[in-house]
Amino acid sequence: MKSLTLTFRRFFRDDGHYLLLLSPLLIFVVAVAIYPLFFSFRISLFDYRLTDPNQTQTFVGLKNYIRAFSDTVVIDSLKTTLVYVLGTVTLELALGLGLAMLLSAETQIARVLRSFLIMPMAIPPLVVGLVWKALYNADFGVIPFYMKAIGLNVGRGPLAELKLAMPAVILVDLWQWTPLLMVIFLAGLKSLPTEPYEAAVVDGASRWQSFWFITLPLLKPTALVALLLRTMQSFKVFDTIYATTAGGPGSVTTVLNFHIYTVGMTFFDMGYAAALANILLVVIAVLSVIYIMVLERQQL
Amino acid sequence: MMPIYWLLITAFKYGREAFAIPPKWFIFDFTLKNFIEALTTVKTPRFILNSVIITSGATLLSLILGVPAGYAIARSKSRLLNLSSYFFLLLLMVPPVAMLIPFYLIMRDVHLLGSYFAVILLDTVFDASFVVWMMRSYFADVPQEMEEAALVDGASHVGAFFKVALPLSTPGIVASALYVIIYSWNDFLFALMLTSPKTKTIPLGILASFSAVEIGWGRMAAMSIFAIIPAVIISLFLNKYFVRGLTMGATKG
Amino acid sequence: MRSKTLRMLLSLVLLAAFVAGIVGCAPATTEAPKTEEAKPAEVKPTEAKPAEEKPTEAPPAKPYEGVELTLASMTDQYVAAFRYLIPLFEEETGIKITMDELGYVDLYQKLTADFVGKTAQYDLMTVDIVWSGEYATNGYTLPLDDFMARDKEELQLDDIMPVAWTLGEYEGKHYAYPLAGYANVLNYRKDLLEAAGIKPPKTQEELLEAAKALTKDGQYGIALLGAKGSAVAQDYMAWVQQHGGSILDKDGKVAVNTPENVEILKFFGELFKYAPPGSTDYWWDQRETAFRDGMVAMMEGWSIARAGYENPEISKIVGKVDIEPAPVAEGMEPKYGFGGWGIGINASSDPEKQEAAWVFIKWLTSPEIQKEWIRHDGAPIRRSTLTDPDLNKEYPWFPKLLEAFEKGDGDYRPRIPEYSIIQDALGTYVNAYLVGQETAESALQKAQAQIEANIK
Repeated sequence: MKSLTLTFRRFFRDDGHYLLLLSPLLIFVVAVAIYPLFFSFRISLFDYRLTDPNQTQTFVGLKNYIRAFSDTVVIDSLKTTLVYVLGTVTLELALGLGLAMLLSAETQIARVLRSFLIMPMAIPPLVVGLVWKALYNADFGVIPFYMKAIGLNVGRGPLAELKLAMPAVILVDLWQWTPLLMVIFLAGLKSLPTEPYEAAVVDGASRWQSFWFITLPLLKPTALVALLLRTMQSFKVFDTIYATTAGGPGSVTTVLNFHIYTVGMTFFDMGYAAALANILLVVIAVLSVIYIMVLERQQL
Repeated sequence: MMPIYWLLITAFKYGREAFAIPPKWFIFDFTLKNFIEALTTVKTPRFILNSVIITSGATLLSLILGVPAGYAIARSKSRLLNLSSYFFLLLLMVPPVAMLIPFYLIMRDVHLLGSYFAVILLDTVFDASFVVWMMRSYFADVPQEMEEAALVDGASHVGAFFKVALPLSTPGIVASALYVIIYSWNDFLFALMLTSPKTKTIPLGILASFSAVEIGWGRMAAMSIFAIIPAVIISLFLNKYFVRGLTMGATKG
Repeated sequence: MRSKTLRMLLSLVLLAAFVAGIVGCAPATTEAPKTEEAKPAEVKPTEAKPAEEKPTEAPPAKPYEGVELTLASMTDQYVAAFRYLIPLFEEETGIKITMDELGYVDLYQKLTADFVGKTAQYDLMTVDIVWSGEYATNGYTLPLDDFMARDKEELQLDDIMPVAWTLGEYEGKHYAYPLAGYANVLNYRKDLLEAAGIKPPKTQEELLEAAKALTKDGQYGIALLGAKGSAVAQDYMAWVQQHGGSILDKDGKVAVNTPENVEILKFFGELFKYAPPGSTDYWWDQRETAFRDGMVAMMEGWSIARAGYENPEISKIVGKVDIEPAPVAEGMEPKYGFGGWGIGINASSDPEKQEAAWVFIKWLTSPEIQKEWIRHDGAPIRRSTLTDPDLNKEYPWFPKLLEAFEKGDGDYRPRIPEYSIIQDALGTYVNAYLVGQETAESALQKAQAQIEANIK
């Protein structure tokens, strides 16, 4: 007991000011977000359909979860989600870093290019999806037109071919979100210390060597944060899929979040949707824990 | 850049030419009709204003709440505070649909449905959690020596944060702010459910061109252009900050 | 003495109040008995009590002056007519209407949230024909039957095309008033068919033949909706209707995987061979684009798009198009797909607003205003509109439309509360069949299984 109060006292002596800085956000989040989270967990244990005129909520225990794991759509969409996340995140990370390296110089051109490059982010993802759908159209879209011009067979068009749909959708995501990673990496690059580079120059290291041995290791924390955030965003992708393929052709691009949305906002089957959302949450959380473990090791 | 150019020229085209094959990249019947329509028949300026209000509200609020919190987590040696950061991470992972419905019901009960405030609040939950995460890693990179020097000089911890750590982490703040701005600016789902016709944001306005029968491509493109302009302005403005962040970084060495 | 004056004063005040009351309610008292009679006995509390009676020919011409209504409108073509007509209505009645223009999906979601939360953000809303079952079952929109019975003289109900009532009628009550009737028609290129020596197809078999013959030299026979989701689901259901099939069995249970429907699906797939290669990715707007660009010779679609083909700003085929009612299978009694929009009143709105909203519906659907409605891209619901000589001159295809309306079938897409579940399943699996992921049999099998899993 005594040691506990001691711990508390020490905590407040050493970290009280930090708690002071943290508390506004904590209070805010608890006030705004806790109830919705609790509500969402609770209804996942109920059969609750908004379309039911009486709005009855019947307690069903874990039935919604059991239903989810026996639903082939859910299993398939989980796999699809993993492919999508893996594809978008790795490519965006690599491309984002490349662009950041290229455009980190403070030249006029780099500055203008940077401004241009972040434009895709400013367009609502749904509009981006619609524009790309128009560009991809096999019959009057711009992309298949040039593909045909160089002798490629476009078939039903990138979005309607079973094998092409996923890469085509990933490309849309790349186009929109690589710039974000560029921005994050640029910020990371700017905060790097200059000394190691000076030392490297003295030691006669090549540019490639100094990138590989200095920049990359120093950027690791930034990269991990970026990775984590993009992964979580990518898991929750909805607008892009909705506007381009609606999860088709068939169900090749039906990601789990899209399925949740259908269940929740089209069928208004809230209990089941909440259960699915919690499953998705657990999947993301498990992956994040792995990231975090890596991240912690980096920082300690 | 190609899709943006396509969007740009579509905004100046008549419907019949939008999908001409071969594509008309440079020469087409030029018209301002879509822009006039975007400004008069639909209330684009109003939508933009609403978007600006909601975005700046959410950005400011999440920076005010998130930056100090990120700093606290980065600096504190307490296990408890470090653990609390995972709570914010968890929040970021929650699928938006799961948050939205209960939040909608709360806002109804407190009569805030359709107000700017409702959207700002919900955006901020996600935005601020993001800011905490970004800033945590940036503050971790900022050397502590200068803060410690400030503490020795008699500054309080809070003072050291404002006077020393904050200026040093400008690039990080800018990057987080940019992300938060983009996120709130593009937010569609929350705004859809929480706004009224009077507080409707530009993505919703754009989406109204998307009907069951056809898409008014010209008008949609014109409205999208209006929607992009603020982002371009912001990016030009933020570029300056990147530079400033750089020079600041140089002085620290 | 004192008490006497007091008493007198008091009675004077009372008298004044009484007189004021009578004068104030004068129109109401004369109207009331009639309304009371017209009202069915079993009035639910949610139904409108005409609290402040509306004088039919009373001197105060603007009884709802200052009432503010919000209308949620789908951004179909008719939204232009709303934009034009609403200011006129405001001028005439002093009722203020704010219109919120929403796309199809946002409209549905926003309205559902509004209904479920009983927030009454919208007083008036456009209601898709397929939503009427859901809205009725859940009591989202106000049953209009009391209003209709009360005002039946001025409404000229007989003039409204019988099929148009499917735009909001469900189990004998009206949950939305007919607003915009669409017929599924076959649009075809007069020039191309003539050049090929083909008569406009009257049957599905002829349609397939014609599509085959017209697919040549970079031209395609027919434009279809193939994109996953509501697009392909609705197009398939239209073909089911044209072949005399049904999504529901005799007991009203969902039965999409009947051998009959499988055959229809195969026929539908056959048609795709004569459609542009990208068709399996077509949403409504791409199908329209394909037709307006002149890439295809024929297209089935909603009649409301017809006027757009004559607009040179968006169409390259001005003057080359004609319509026929959509062909049906050989030997089948002609029935034509009917769809469109009703307009409903929110059951959670204030009674006063509901009354004002009803005034708007009455005004909008009156024969005179309907002409302006049509001229500003609205769609017809009245026989008098479809047979109006002036309008027939401006819209020469109206007789065909009348024919399609006469034999219209508004129920080919089941207007039941579970509609969205059916549409979602068909949207996935018909598309999967078209892109070769499933066979016709397995596709409908899986669709049926998914529907059953989601309906309780």
